[in-house]
Amino acid sequence: MIEAIGVGLTYPDGTTALKGIDLQIASGEVVYITGPSGSGKTSLLKLLMGMEYPTEGSLKVLGQAIAEGQESGIRKLRQVIGPVFQEFKLIRGRTAMENVMLGLRFLDFTPGKAKQRAYEALVKVGLEHKAFSPVENLSWGQCQRVAIARAIARKPVLILADEPTGNLDRENAINILNLLTEAKEKETTVLITTHATHFIEGKKNSMLIRMYRGNICCERLG
Amino acid sequence: MSIMRKIIYNMGYFFAESKKIIQSNLMSNVLTVISIGLIFFIFSMVITGLKISNRMMEIIQKDAEIQIHYDDKMSDDKVEELLERIKGLDGVLDTWIVDEEEAYRRMEDVLGKEADILKLFDENPFSPFIEAKIDLAYMDSVFNKLEHLEGVQYIRDNREILERIKNISGILGILGSLIAAAVAVSTFITVSHIIRQGIYNNREQINTLRLLGAPEPFIGFPFMLEGLILTLAGGLLTAILTVFSINGFYSLVATPLPFIPLPPREHLIEFMILVITCLSAILGIGGSLFGISSARKS
Repeated sequence: MIEAIGVGLTYPDGTTALKGIDLQIASGEVVYITGPSGSGKTSLLKLLMGMEYPTEGSLKVLGQAIAEGQESGIRKLRQVIGPVFQEFKLIRGRTAMENVMLGLRFLDFTPGKAKQRAYEALVKVGLEHKAFSPVENLSWGQCQRVAIARAIARKPVLILADEPTGNLDRENAINILNLLTEAKEKETTVLITTHATHFIEGKKNSMLIRMYRGNICCERLG
Repeated sequence: MSIMRKIIYNMGYFFAESKKIIQSNLMSNVLTVISIGLIFFIFSMVITGLKISNRMMEIIQKDAEIQIHYDDKMSDDKVEELLERIKGLDGVLDTWIVDEEEAYRRMEDVLGKEADILKLFDENPFSPFIEAKIDLAYMDSVFNKLEHLEGVQYIRDNREILERIKNISGILGILGSLIAAAVAVSTFITVSHIIRQGIYNNREQINTLRLLGAPEPFIGFPFMLEGLILTLAGGLLTAILTVFSINGFYSLVATPLPFIPLPPREHLIEFMILVITCLSAILGIGGSLFGISSARKS
């Protein structure tokens, strides 16, 4: 699923975000990535999304190399990824339903099927009653759920969630983490970054990646 | 699923997005439609003029007949002899005599409602003449020979009018080409600028779509539709102005001056609407694609 060999990332301003990362993640895994701010969590997700390219080593996601000149392949790869962005990236002026459907329109669905999938995803996140509300009328937590619904509606092979627990209290944070791991299909791999390790206490059958200053340390939970 | 099917499935979404893009910058878009409409109108007027002058030339060329006026005192035998000699010239296709009554009747036709003015004359003021149908290629040589024939007083032809219309048509043709180029460039710039502005205003949405893996044609389609809608709206404005102008021109010229050979009004209007629609569509799509492509590069 994900294969990184000696991956490093240095930004044009000279900041080194990741150093010599070796990583293998199998299909269906749930992976929590933790670490303090600036440890490289978001940079790692950006690499996996093809938003940045490794400046060292090689990285493959679902067999697709993440490198310059691979734009067409990376675009196709993004179509099977369900991203949950830290700032949600929902489209203002559109309803929750329209936002969820946005991620489905250019995939191989008829309009009816896309609508059905979007609605089912909103049901899964408990927001069916807000399906036709413009997203600017929703609370922070509800927007987060819409973003998750947009990611899971595509039935993606890989879910990448960047700090989905940010700014949430303990109870809501745990709910969101549970939602992400429970709403997924069996074969879907989920990578969740969070700076708060206490939210993942007691998690089983999953992998924990601790990050610190661009380095990683992996351990198995449960 | 084929790209075409995806486009058809999402047509409602594309139109809704285009509507939102237009509404988000309504004043700029309305002004764009007006400016495109006025630019197209200038072009449309030149094309209308060109079409009318071409039609006039066509009619006049088709009607390459000359009138040979001869001495009134000539006997009938002499006139018959002159007629035969003219018929024998190279380039003369046919000849016949137009008598006084026929000349009078023709003038009545030309004057139409104003023909009553002829009743002011006590006698028929027209003289008989010989009319000859000639091959345009031989026009100069026929003229030279006719001038030297005995009994010929003067020759009336439409060469001067033909030359003038040719000149006007030539000028309109050059002007039309220049204006066509100006229309194309200015519409391209106007449309591409407004598209770039729309792309800039919607850059966050575009970025999100890219992160979700949307293909570039899917992202660009609503912007291309926006350009097409703007130019078609501009074209509609031009079509309305053009129809009013053509109707106005015909009521000013065609009725009081019926002898001017204008093309049929309905045909001219249909032709101009077709030209304006095609021009709007081509420039709208072209300008949008140019705007999308330049925005992507920058």
